[in-house]
Amino acid sequence: MLRLNPSAHNNAHLLLTLILMALSLTLFEPLQLWVLLLVLCAVIIRVSLYLNWQKHQLSIRTLNLMAILCAIVLAYFGWQLGLLLGMLNLLVMASSLKLMLLASRRDYFQLIGVQFFLLGAALVFNQNIAFSLFYALLCVLLLLSLACHINPSARWPILIKRVGKLCLQALPIAVLMLLVLPKLGPLWQMPTGKGTQTGLSDKVSPGDLAQLARTDDLAFRVTFEGNAPPMSQRYWRALVMEDFDGSNWQVHPYRRKLQERYKGANQTFSPQVSGPAHSYQIIAEPTKQRWLFALDVATSQDSHVWQSHDYTLQSRIPLQSNLAYRVRSYYQTALHEGIPNLDKRLNLQTPEQANPRTREWASQLKAQNTSAEQIIQAIAKFMQQQEFRYTLKPGRMPVDPVDRFLFEEKAGFCSHYASATAYLLRLSGVPARLVTGYLGGEMRGDRYMSVYQYDAHAWVEWLSDEGWQRLDPTAWVAPLRLQFGLEQAVEFEQSFLADAPLANLRNIEWFNNLRGLMADMDYWWSRWVLGFDQQNQQDLLKALLGELKLWKLLLFSFTLVAVIALLLAAYHIRPWLQARQNLPHWYYQKALKLLARYDIQRPYWQGPQDFSMSLATKSDKQSLQHFAILTRCFTHLNYRPLTAQQKKRLVRQMRHQLRKLKRSLAKK
Amino acid sequence: MAGFIQQRLLRWLDKRIPAQPRFSLHRGNIFIFPSRFGWLYLLLCLTLFILGTNYQNNLILLLSFFLMALMLVSLFSSYLNFAGLNLQPGKLANIYAGNPVSFPLWIESRKEGKAGKLHLAWFGEKVQSAVELDNFTNPATLNLFSAKRGKLQLPRLTLCSYYPLGLFRCWTHLAFDFHLIVYPTPMLPLWPVSHRDTTSAGQQSVSCVKEGQDLDDFDSLTDYRLGQPLYHIAWKQAAKGQGLLSKKFSSQTQQSGWLILHHIDQHLEDNLCRLCQTCLEMDARGWEFGLDIPGKVIPPGKGKEHVRQCLVALALVKGVADVTS
Repeated sequence: MLRLNPSAHNNAHLLLTLILMALSLTLFEPLQLWVLLLVLCAVIIRVSLYLNWQKHQLSIRTLNLMAILCAIVLAYFGWQLGLLLGMLNLLVMASSLKLMLLASRRDYFQLIGVQFFLLGAALVFNQNIAFSLFYALLCVLLLLSLACHINPSARWPILIKRVGKLCLQALPIAVLMLLVLPKLGPLWQMPTGKGTQTGLSDKVSPGDLAQLARTDDLAFRVTFEGNAPPMSQRYWRALVMEDFDGSNWQVHPYRRKLQERYKGANQTFSPQVSGPAHSYQIIAEPTKQRWLFALDVATSQDSHVWQSHDYTLQSRIPLQSNLAYRVRSYYQTALHEGIPNLDKRLNLQTPEQANPRTREWASQLKAQNTSAEQIIQAIAKFMQQQEFRYTLKPGRMPVDPVDRFLFEEKAGFCSHYASATAYLLRLSGVPARLVTGYLGGEMRGDRYMSVYQYDAHAWVEWLSDEGWQRLDPTAWVAPLRLQFGLEQAVEFEQSFLADAPLANLRNIEWFNNLRGLMADMDYWWSRWVLGFDQQNQQDLLKALLGELKLWKLLLFSFTLVAVIALLLAAYHIRPWLQARQNLPHWYYQKALKLLARYDIQRPYWQGPQDFSMSLATKSDKQSLQHFAILTRCFTHLNYRPLTAQQKKRLVRQMRHQLRKLKRSLAKK
Repeated sequence: MAGFIQQRLLRWLDKRIPAQPRFSLHRGNIFIFPSRFGWLYLLLCLTLFILGTNYQNNLILLLSFFLMALMLVSLFSSYLNFAGLNLQPGKLANIYAGNPVSFPLWIESRKEGKAGKLHLAWFGEKVQSAVELDNFTNPATLNLFSAKRGKLQLPRLTLCSYYPLGLFRCWTHLAFDFHLIVYPTPMLPLWPVSHRDTTSAGQQSVSCVKEGQDLDDFDSLTDYRLGQPLYHIAWKQAAKGQGLLSKKFSSQTQQSGWLILHHIDQHLEDNLCRLCQTCLEMDARGWEFGLDIPGKVIPPGKGKEHVRQCLVALALVKGVADVTS
């Protein structure tokens, strides 16, 4: 059966259609291409219905067929997408199918609800200022579509004004709620998208890091509460790799299993700390992974941060979007073994095969030197004497990479040095492991520090009697890397950000200024909007209230409720103010109310003059006279052309008469 | 069960919003509650809150709070738009049973700027019509229908509005102090006319007014009125597009008579319908007639007022059930 067209010139439907399209386009990355095409189809159908080119809707049978087809395709692709992206695709697909079908009020309302939810889901994927503003616009447009649906004959300016007013009224309340309502930790595990993970990975082959260091994406931002540590101390630990198979390092499977178990039992590692500390907040960019970054021995009180026994921090939720957390780093505290004996045992394991020349040299080292320090010195001396080079473009080393690096190439990136050193140490009987993370960070003024992907770094930790010691073999060959960062360290080979687009614009001053300004805005946005957390909230309250005490908090909450009530009352009271503005009317109404109190009602069909005449029998003479004068003033004010002065006089007279009327009625 | 609840509700409403000739909407007679979409919307806010909390995403939280605040604000807006409406039923002539008529409702507002659709329905029935408050002409109308003759108390009138965003349903059930008499449906055949000698009561002769009989001379044309027989319509004039006119005949032979209903039996309703038709017919012919039915005697007369009296009397005759019980 053909169904008639409910959308012809229906603005609410058109607006909804356009919003769905815009929203899907911003989700270009997480959505599948065919889902986007489906949205486009739905939009075309809807628009041609709107313009009445197409007079009839699709038949239900066609749509059902299409729905089944889509469901099969989604089920087929969905397995690889993971829950989050799968759900998102499903939602967009379902709403575009519903859009094709859209006919009844119920369809419309359901679709609006889903759009609001999609808006929220889109904020998981895109959160920078531009996208947020765009989504705010879409939200207002959705409300506009609703208003248009409820009141289709109103003109656009009126609708816009109405919705704008509602939004402006609601916004302060919403901001207040965000600032004051206690912030909860994540309630349960949310699925994460299986999209391309960015940043460091939990498995490192030495060449990987050099790849990563060629991009200038932001990794995270730090706001220090005191002074920032010097450049050469900014070792941001992220991952500890304890399993080496001859070429690749990765997080040890046993360690991983252990972490799962502790996490399952909700036990967190709390290291013994002492001495001075840096306090700072980190806002990490989305990586779709769980590990976080911190300096030295770090502790965090945040409920969504979990600490592992290898002193790394992990997030309880995958970093689907920006994540803010607070850390205290005790830079003088030693890293003791997290689990005694286990660390030692894990970090002495070496592969049986692979790298024969290295093994041979290591046994020589072990024979010649007695202490770990001496071995390290020997390795350093070897590298310096052999004139090892630091490069962003290391050669390929597919077989026996450590042999190849140490005895043939003699040039590599930080991960080559770290990998070779840790391996040598293990072979010589010193427990050692590879740590990946970032080294450095660009301070902007004294406010915040940005750490980029090209700051990615790998170094070694070896176990002494005092705990784990940091050792950075890169420093032996490229001291500039420590002091000034990667750009200086590889300046000679012109390889820094060589394949990044717009890289040569970095030398133009105004462009750099602009970049800095944008970065500042972005920082401000992520720090105060995306990164607004429990601590900020408490700080804010403290700044407002001083010491936080129960009675103060209670008082404050009452004040807030009162403020909201007042806000609402202010919106509400306006009509009353307007009534007061028309003074003659106001006085006349008051007079009528006075008379009504003495059982003299004006019938609704009677004009003021007639009413005044009809009173003759009902009241005493004096009140009657006052009311008659008042009525005359009222009619004159309303129906006679008067100068401003005359008007003023009449209004004053009305006020006098009203007072007299009151007195004479009371006397009676 | 549903009927029982509705009865209770009506009884409660009678106490809460007693019948009045006209209404001004205020907090005493307005109900307001989230609409079905409103509940969906609340669920959505909650879902967004959970999403925002679980992803530790302030923007989603802000969106959720914003939508909640919007709901709060729209509660007020919804109420303010609905309150202050003045409603009053328009004039309506009495009606015949089984014939629907439009019931006029005048909607006015003290304040400017009322907007949004106002849905009109009789209590417990489907929405009949919707007017947009910012663009409509008074009066709004509803179909009114009664299958039974007699006194009709207007059912409660339900008005509802979803302004401004459809989140809240603002509604009221108004009972207007407005009675209608529903006449019996005119029905053929005509009732026999009795001739009562005024001097010697009790002696009467009966004759039937038959269709086409005793209609002597064509007298004049009048506007066609409901209930007049179709064969009185001047079709020639109707074909010329002059509207429906009714031919009036003058009869020389009989100019007065009585319509008498002696007793109430199971054919009462049919009889009343026939009597109704006959009254209209007699009036159309310009006869004088009197009505004698159980409980009421109306002396002969003619004219609009007389017919109205007769019809009211017919409408208010006690039914069979009322008499036997």
